[in-house]
Amino acid sequence: MKKNLNLFFIGAIMLFFFVACIKDTDFDQAEDIALTPILEVDFIYFNIDARQFFDETSSTEILTIRDTTEIRILDDTEIQESLIRAEFFYRFNNSIPRDFLVDIRFLSEDNDTTLTTQISVIQGSLQMPIVTEFIQNVEGDDIIDLTQSDKVVVSVTIPSSNANLEGILNLQSKTTYYLEF
Amino acid sequence: MRKVLTCLFALWAIMSIAQNKQLLYGVEEIPQSLLLNPGGKISVTQKYHFGIPFFSQIHINGGSSGVSVFDIFEDSGGDINERIRKKIFELKNTDFFTVTQQLEIINFGWRAQNEIYFSGGIYQEFDFISYFPRDLAILAWEGNRDYIDYEFDLGEISTTGDLMTVFHFGANKQVTNKLILGIRAKIYSSLISYRSTNNNGTFVTHLGDGTINIYEHTVQDIDITVETSGFASLRELNGSSQVIGEILGRAFFGGNIGLGVDIGGTYDINDKFTASASILDFGAIFHTKDVETYHVSGNYTLNGIELLFPPLNIGEPAPPYWDDLEDEIEREIPIDTLYNSYTQFRPLKLNASLSYNFGKIIGNNAECDCRNINSGIDRDQSVGLQFYSISRPKGAQMAGTLFYYRRFTDYISAKATYTIDSYSTTNLGLGFVTDLGKFNFYIAADNLLRYGNLAKAKSISLQLGFNIKIDEE
Repeated sequence: MKKNLNLFFIGAIMLFFFVACIKDTDFDQAEDIALTPILEVDFIYFNIDARQFFDETSSTEILTIRDTTEIRILDDTEIQESLIRAEFFYRFNNSIPRDFLVDIRFLSEDNDTTLTTQISVIQGSLQMPIVTEFIQNVEGDDIIDLTQSDKVVVSVTIPSSNANLEGILNLQSKTTYYLEF
Repeated sequence: MRKVLTCLFALWAIMSIAQNKQLLYGVEEIPQSLLLNPGGKISVTQKYHFGIPFFSQIHINGGSSGVSVFDIFEDSGGDINERIRKKIFELKNTDFFTVTQQLEIINFGWRAQNEIYFSGGIYQEFDFISYFPRDLAILAWEGNRDYIDYEFDLGEISTTGDLMTVFHFGANKQVTNKLILGIRAKIYSSLISYRSTNNNGTFVTHLGDGTINIYEHTVQDIDITVETSGFASLRELNGSSQVIGEILGRAFFGGNIGLGVDIGGTYDINDKFTASASILDFGAIFHTKDVETYHVSGNYTLNGIELLFPPLNIGEPAPPYWDDLEDEIEREIPIDTLYNSYTQFRPLKLNASLSYNFGKIIGNNAECDCRNINSGIDRDQSVGLQFYSISRPKGAQMAGTLFYYRRFTDYISAKATYTIDSYSTTNLGLGFVTDLGKFNFYIAADNLLRYGNLAKAKSISLQLGFNIKIDEE
């Protein structure tokens, strides 16, 4: 009798555990999990003085000035594989009484051009600086070109200059990265 | 067949004994109850016990205070990413995820001639807890675009993990008719360990107003520490077999050593009421070998890269803006690697109970001892309250339990519990212990209401073990 009672209890408990189960769930959904963060990150900025467009030593115009920086954030393999779209926002504030042509060129490690943008910046004045905004949207096949970029070259071209030219060409910029992991 | 296997695998995956072993506490028929209260009651007729090696207590726990498997993987046809997003915002930074596993290797005990019941053994333990870093999860899931000027709290990172072997030996003695006291000494042999708690710091993206670029990305007052022991030497090994071999080699005093003690007692207030309490793992591990601590601190504001357009000669490279930026960040927010020893206190556990005993008088106390009228008399039923607490990085986690215990025969006992804890307020448990001759078997489970669908449980506990018990003839 005692043994029978014991066996009954053990059997009942075991049966209980065997009826325990996971249901109404679908673990295959794990394949669909995707992180889609949208990151806002500052990009480049500069303040170019009008005097940088004139060489006082030789009294000659410097119509184009140029600078280059690496952008290793795009070297990261995770970023390269996950970047869906990138939006570059440029805001120029020009107090120089000249229009400018700004060329922003992305280059690969081998100095091949991967992506390029030309922006016409409207002339302003010391009293009334003019704001020019420009948005460059990069997606689709261009994203592959962007992720192969290793550096960015910024060229600023002024139509004419002289020793008395005054003012500042200011750039503020940011990039919005649309990622999917 | 596939469904059966799936169910069995799921059962195994979730099979657990929570740190709170409310179903084992105070059940004198189970030798392992002495590990919960070294001053617990033991049947006066019990002379020896031996745990079946590796099967005397199996303990795996996975729990989450704020989310269940069903919450994420429910088969409703909806979007799983939307469910995850919803949960991220519902969870608080005090919600936590735990994994606790214990495997008893050896357990033994015997009653000496002086009526002291000695017991000892070895068990392996893994304990992990991570609080939910809510702000970091939001940042990873959503990014910062919609959180301009929001301060992400980097100090929410709070996690610990330990793998160790515990050697223990204890003594239990009835010091008066009413009082049983017990003590257990422990030596911890840490295999690997890490800890990152008490961190600080914020990350915020401000929309600039008069600033040099559109945003200011600011890391402020960052002070994050990760202490590790036992990991550094593993980096030099090749392959998982070498790593496993190295870790197992530390199991027997090969790692960092710690000391601890458990104390406890049981007091029969009168022949109806019994109180008991215990303090477990009052001790620390002294990490002196194979220690590496990483410390990040500082303040930094990122504005992007400033181009200076310096006049350059032909062939002269542009300034190394990116290298300069990296150097500046490393200078302002340095990551230091330290090799200082550190002491890690074990998570202190408290148990307490008050029980009201009623029903038939059983055992050797069946005859009333008229000289000690108030001393304890074992009865076949009891009801009572239990309290459990464990110290964790963000404060103690507590649980309250109502229980009903019944001994059906001299060979079968059962205990039912209702527990309120961080996981749920609907936790019903049931434990069962039987003695088949000298063979002792126990099994206990809680969160029974969730057994219809384990996926809906935030934690489930299953405890089982096999022992040999030898009573006096």
